[in-house]
Amino acid sequence: MKEKIMAILEDVCGADEGELSPDTQLFEDGILDSFGVISLFVEIETQLGIKLEPTELDRDQLATPALIIAEVEKRA
Amino acid sequence: MFLLEGIKKYAATDRTALVNGEKSMSYAELDAESEAFAAWLLETFPGDKTPVVIYGHKEMALLPCAYGALKAGRAYVPIDITVPADRVSQIVEEVRPTAAVDFCGAGIEAERTLSADELAEVFRKYRGVEVPRSAWASGSDYAYILFTSGSTGKPKGVTIMISNVENFDREFSPWLESGGHVMLSQASYSFDLSVLPVWLGMAHGFTLHTFEKSVGEDFAELFSRLGKSGISVWVSTPSFAEMCCSSDRFDEKLLPSLDRFIFCGEVLTHRLVDELFRRFPRAKVINTYGPTESTVLVSAVEVTAEMAADERSIPVGEPLPEVTFRIADEDGHELPEGEEGELLIISKSVSAGYFKRPDLTEKSFFMDEKLGKRGYHTGDSACRMGNMYYYRGRIDNQIKLNGYRIEIEDVEKNLALVSNVARAAVLPVYDGETIRSLTAFVILEKPDGLANLERAVKIKRELRELIPAYMVPRRITAVESFPLTANDKIDKKKLRELL
Repeated sequence: MKEKIMAILEDVCGADEGELSPDTQLFEDGILDSFGVISLFVEIETQLGIKLEPTELDRDQLATPALIIAEVEKRA
Repeated sequence: MFLLEGIKKYAATDRTALVNGEKSMSYAELDAESEAFAAWLLETFPGDKTPVVIYGHKEMALLPCAYGALKAGRAYVPIDITVPADRVSQIVEEVRPTAAVDFCGAGIEAERTLSADELAEVFRKYRGVEVPRSAWASGSDYAYILFTSGSTGKPKGVTIMISNVENFDREFSPWLESGGHVMLSQASYSFDLSVLPVWLGMAHGFTLHTFEKSVGEDFAELFSRLGKSGISVWVSTPSFAEMCCSSDRFDEKLLPSLDRFIFCGEVLTHRLVDELFRRFPRAKVINTYGPTESTVLVSAVEVTAEMAADERSIPVGEPLPEVTFRIADEDGHELPEGEEGELLIISKSVSAGYFKRPDLTEKSFFMDEKLGKRGYHTGDSACRMGNMYYYRGRIDNQIKLNGYRIEIEDVEKNLALVSNVARAAVLPVYDGETIRSLTAFVILEKPDGLANLERAVKIKRELRELIPAYMVPRRITAVESFPLTANDKIDKKKLRELL
């Protein structure tokens, strides 16, 4: 699951494999923007069948790969 | 002038003109503050008609400045805060404003630049003063100038006259009838979709609901506001509605008064229409079409169940009654029904041209002697079937991304200005008929030893100083060389294979 989410994130962010660390700040340097977040949600739903509800998640809860993985796992 | 008369009419009632979260403003306040700003302009710069530059975002005092400029016989030039300083300077150098309002302390150069505080002082000092109607902008006076992405790498200003917007109002306001009077005004004021709420909405007594970009990105806050708004007419880009659809809560329970969606600015997809029909079974979905150069929109259609079920794309509608559409081949010959060619618009809504750019104006605009009206080469490819027109793509490198109009060359030219970038090629990334993001390939001047994301972050940071964030590609990949076509141009088809 973790690897899959990381792979989705790398794909959405345009990162090389292994380039994102669990603590990379995704919003600070514009690695991820609001439309990127929506793409991420769509990919997670398509590939993992887990639905993230955007009204329940703000940027602080999605700030790093580790936080995103935690939110997805909560809903798995 | 219909807009200023409309504001005066509703200023005599207790109706609310504008709501942004907890903040609101009545028509009476809007009228009074715009009078005050107009009075200051007329007293400080008698006889001056230079457009007023307004730099800001969704400040409550912004529209009173725009309407105040009009009451003083001037156009306004709205520049959104998403535009970085360098680009703002390019616009300001072109306009050479005498008066400007700067809500963000960006240092807009003009003879007099008012800060938000100084503006509030003007509102106080000139309270109760009313300027004569004879001072109002009218007829062929400019109403506003919107700067849009230009393929030279610099923005170009589309000038719109009062007579253009008057025509737009005459032609399109019937589509707003009996739809309640609360309107969503999502777009930033520097984007011409906002002209629909800001001109037609206000002229006809709508209460506009707006919000900052940051609220649009915060779903919890956005949905809480939407739920309280009572919006009956939704005006946005398809992208924005699509983004809202990523939440299951976006439905008629959230917006029980919603009567119609009006979409403009980019392709309306089948996917979105199906979603909206399902989530809002009682609301109409109206698709419209028009470039900034022909004043917001010049064709419209209510999307029917048949159109939604049809495998052809959703039509952009029939031209409004006064408007003539012509589909032409490369030599300008009119093409018959069903054939695809460039769409030409001939209408009283067509702009006088690009601000101080007769060269660009000459290239894209023409006079149709037979109809006695101006025409515009849209660069859009389209075809007609029956009375309906269908959009088929662009004949040049202009694209729409999340509702924003972008010239690909504008991004490429600015990317090449970033340090250590020798050349750049930018490609739109499609998901069906919708462009989801931009991706860039760059050739470096010398190796930098960085990993891809690290380098992309560095390049993007510099690029955001040159162009608005919405134009910055999501992915940036360094390559050794570009594949070339037989005549030594970058082969974008081959480049696309690297995606």
